Amino acid sequence: MTGLPKKSFRQLLPLLLPFMLLWVLFWVVPLVMGIDLSLQSPNSGFLDPQLETVEYVGTENYKRTLNDPKFYKALSNTFVYVVGSVLCILPLAFLLAVSLFECQRILRGILAFCLLIPGLALPGAMSKLFYLFFHGREGVLNQYLVIPLGFDPINWMMDPDFIMPSLIMQSIWRWTGVVTLFFLCALEGIPKWHFEVAKLEGLSPLSKIRQILIPGVRKLALFVAVFLTVDGVASFSGAYSLLGGSGGMMDSGLLLVTYVYQVAFPGGSGRFDLPGAAAMSLMVAPMVAAFLYLVLKIRVLLIKG
Amino acid sequence: MSRLFSFILLLCFLIVSLYPFAWMFFSSFKTNKEIYQPAQLFPEKFDGQAYGMLLDGKFVDFGEGLWQSFFIAGSQSLLATFVSALVGFVLAKYSFRGKTFLIGAALIIILIPRQALVVPIFEWFNFLGWTGNSWSLILCGIASGLGVIFFTQSFRHLPDELIESSKLEGFSPWRVFRLILPLFAPGFMTYFLLHFALCWQEHLLALLLLDDNALTLPLTLAKLSDSSHRAPEAIGMAAATLSFIPILVLFGLFFGKMRTALSQLSLS
Repeated sequence: MTGLPKKSFRQLLPLLLPFMLLWVLFWVVPLVMGIDLSLQSPNSGFLDPQLETVEYVGTENYKRTLNDPKFYKALSNTFVYVVGSVLCILPLAFLLAVSLFECQRILRGILAFCLLIPGLALPGAMSKLFYLFFHGREGVLNQYLVIPLGFDPINWMMDPDFIMPSLIMQSIWRWTGVVTLFFLCALEGIPKWHFEVAKLEGLSPLSKIRQILIPGVRKLALFVAVFLTVDGVASFSGAYSLLGGSGGMMDSGLLLVTYVYQVAFPGGSGRFDLPGAAAMSLMVAPMVAAFLYLVLKIRVLLIKG
Repeated sequence: MSRLFSFILLLCFLIVSLYPFAWMFFSSFKTNKEIYQPAQLFPEKFDGQAYGMLLDGKFVDFGEGLWQSFFIAGSQSLLATFVSALVGFVLAKYSFRGKTFLIGAALIIILIPRQALVVPIFEWFNFLGWTGNSWSLILCGIASGLGVIFFTQSFRHLPDELIESSKLEGFSPWRVFRLILPLFAPGFMTYFLLHFALCWQEHLLALLLLDDNALTLPLTLAKLSDSSHRAPEAIGMAAATLSFIPILVLFGLFFGKMRTALSQLSLS
């Protein structure tokens, strides 16, 4: 940014003010309130401040969360869900984008749009569809894939071993097309002369992919991975509607946000454990940050090495 | 990559992507018995009964849900596009004290998303007395880290000379921003669409912040599939089909612009 006029902050303030105001009001304040809430006793009357006094219990809620086996279950489920989806989506989307890139221009647009469609549908609406379509005993996955291959039909939604794979499949189905579109646009952004040089030098298709196409999407891939990770950690709608708000059989489909919601607003009992839920969600954020940081570090190491 | 391989891959994925939608559409004409046989694609006879029952409002108020979703997603995306564009413009083209702080603020919104703060957000809006109002849902999604990063990247392509000459002319940053607005229409449109798609799907915050009489589409659909209503499955499928059309049309109209903007974006 050298050579640009240095502006004083005051002149730029009108442009930045709306964002900063909204950031403070709807992000910083809830964060501070969340920290405050997580230190209170779950029995105090935070919903009705006139009735009871707030009782602070220090790190009690955090300890309670750390001793909760269900929390670890939700944590490891979410981890599997996120890593599983990202590792499947990125290579698949790259292959699809390269395939599309070799198509004619008009066809390319139409196909890319068709692939994008699953990303636009409401996850809630899709879950119902998935439930009937894929997972029942009569579902398509069983009828067309599992039984013809000679296996017993799998009860996708009831068998604890298969709930997580079906959640991951749902995520793949949903996001691959969107990521493909992003990758395709990145490939289209690569300057034409790169390909001309490749032709002149007689590069094999494989080394063309390695030396031109992969570097072309690398930055975007990182962005997509971060986006998918955060979205996966925050995902709620799909699993919530698919499993009806529970964690599924033996909690094997319990994701973090669903569990936070379960703790905060347990159905029927009317005893809200908001402090516990707040403590839990505050503990998740640093973990996600640490995870992303680690991934970035490993990537830097790999590029250097 | 060999032609055949890429052809097969594309074809397979195309079928996997689109077939469920075809099934969804045709299922809206089926009876319950037919729906529980998913291998069957076409219904025995086509009648639009499910659509009639859905729009009658016997089970849920679908029209209201559609309007709520449209209003909330539309106004939030519009505001978010504008607010993020302002910040992105400043971050890309000016240097000032506190810049790093601002970038940090944008990044941390991505790292700690609103979904992780739902409980305190709920409590905060309770305190303000805004729960049940659709503006509460609109306002809390405007400050978007993704948007700031998107626009910082896209405004990088703006030539520095433009800013310098505008400085010589004595233009304020706000005036410069207004001048360059038309140039970046594809970028604006693209971010609007992306934000719209994400907001259209918002479930958890809507569940907490909205009243029962003004539900958005995801909530309406969830209510419909709730077993206590005993609504025939076809109505759920009809609702899913109808809820899908607006966003499909929106993306279809601006898909070309979106691709242009995205391929420019990935250059940097």
